[in-house]
Amino acid sequence: MAAIEAEKLRRTYRQTSGFVRRRTKTIEAVRGIDFEVNEGELFGLLGPNGAGKTTTIKMLVTLLIPTSGAARVLGHDVVHSARTVRRNIGYVFGGDRGAYERLSGLDNLRYFSELYGVPPKVQKRRIPELLELVGLMGREKERVEGYSRGMKQRLHIARGLLHDPPVVVLDEPTIGLDPVGARELRNTIAELAQAGKTVLLTTHYMYEADALCDRIAVIAEGEIVAEGTPTALKSVVADRTVVEIEAYGLPAGALERVRASPGVTSVSVEEREHVQLLLVQAPKGLELTQQLLGCLGDVRVGRVAAREPTLEDAYVSLVTGS
Amino acid sequence: MTAVRLPMSGARVFFVGGVMSYRALFSWQSPTFYIPTMLAHPAFQILFFAYLGRFSHVRNDAFYVVGNAVQVSAMAGVFGVAMTIGGERWTQTLAPLLATPANRMALFLGRALPQIANGFVVSAFGFLVGRLLLNFDPPLSSLPRLALIVLVSTAACTGFGLVVGAFGLRLRDVFIFSNPAYFLMLLFCGVNVPLSALPHWMQIVGSGMPLTHGIAAAREVAAGASLSSVSTLVWKEALIGACYFLAAYLLLRLFEAEGRRRASLELV
Repeated sequence: MAAIEAEKLRRTYRQTSGFVRRRTKTIEAVRGIDFEVNEGELFGLLGPNGAGKTTTIKMLVTLLIPTSGAARVLGHDVVHSARTVRRNIGYVFGGDRGAYERLSGLDNLRYFSELYGVPPKVQKRRIPELLELVGLMGREKERVEGYSRGMKQRLHIARGLLHDPPVVVLDEPTIGLDPVGARELRNTIAELAQAGKTVLLTTHYMYEADALCDRIAVIAEGEIVAEGTPTALKSVVADRTVVEIEAYGLPAGALERVRASPGVTSVSVEEREHVQLLLVQAPKGLELTQQLLGCLGDVRVGRVAAREPTLEDAYVSLVTGS
Repeated sequence: MTAVRLPMSGARVFFVGGVMSYRALFSWQSPTFYIPTMLAHPAFQILFFAYLGRFSHVRNDAFYVVGNAVQVSAMAGVFGVAMTIGGERWTQTLAPLLATPANRMALFLGRALPQIANGFVVSAFGFLVGRLLLNFDPPLSSLPRLALIVLVSTAACTGFGLVVGAFGLRLRDVFIFSNPAYFLMLLFCGVNVPLSALPHWMQIVGSGMPLTHGIAAAREVAAGASLSSVSTLVWKEALIGACYFLAAYLLLRLFEAEGRRRASLELV
């Protein structure tokens, strides 16, 4: 039996605007997705902002009712057996809100232990274990309002594990963390999987998914566009090469010219402080550098390099449909 | 891997959880906020109406002291409860809270418990203000009976506060209901104007409100009446309070279910 199953899972939102003349707009956040997460597997749901990752997670943790389709956790339907699902799932979300700021970290954990029905004797053992696991031991009696963002996110992880759930769902847990904090959190997530828990992780950090996940589903505009191991997904772009060009101030129309350039399969731009990093995918063996530089015109160009594609390139290719 | 079944302790969620949520979300608990809002405001309200009554020669001080001292329990019963439910949305803890399997009756009704105690303290302070600063001098022997009636009234008022607080699961700001609710009680519950002096429709509304019967009972007891002579009023107050608690529970369940359907639980 799969630990998590989604069958034709769909969720739409209705948004209304206007006061006198009310207008209703229906947004399809998740468009009938299917996936399964096996027991003990660390499964990644990868996608850009607004792709439908969080909506999917919220349906799995019973906070949202699917518009149609079904989802099960350990065989229990998320709508009809919501309470059983809640007992078996730990929900951790990113960001620094979502804890009681006026209470200490310890009291937050005590309160949620009560809500999860953890007996007092078990609480006495488990809370210190979890504080140790997430590195908050020694700071647990301080009010959460004085915690750093990373500490708050680690507190969320501890809270999600209070009832020792067999399934843990982590929704962008490392978002906004500094590199050291994010690495520590990734280690904690890896430890959860090693401890035999089924982990569903959503992220838009490729290296995170690549380093942690056994399998990944890429979701874009509410649909799963690819699913497989990180290696299998990378093979989508194995026959390509990636040209990186640093440009200082891309002129209007340059990006369109690059995109229309013969042989170019995909183009994306990363904005950095004073420079834009242009990532151009093209078939392996095709020499495009001069042609691309020609498309950029008089713009000042920094480093130009060609490299092997990564999971991130595969992801860009998948979500842009190129 | 099999599904985990943990023993659920509704009683612990009710008592321990209730106190924890009070500490977590009742933002007027520090003396800086508690003294002006829960003590000074009620004291000035009592003095204002007592002096207004003296000026207009309508009723004696005891009428206004008892009416207002019981009604100020709504500071805790309505505002406090609304804060501990609506506050979940502001702190963005509503999602993790509702993702737990906790018994919803224990989870939400437990939040009323500390506010009943709080409301009792506020009310008692109101009576003390009346005793020290106004012509209010009930017989000492009436105090235990008065305390019992205040406790029942405060509990009933807290049930009403839970109904108001339930809208915290439906609306972004629960205070759009709690502010008018407080003044609604001031007008409809016979606090400063006897129910009999109100138009008929207001009397009907008032008789279904919490505090109305409690205030009437408290006035009689403060004047020396026995508990048995006001027992009908006290039972009516308790029954009305129980109805509000039930209505609050049903509304909370309804709004939680609707929030899951409409995706409105996390809007802030």
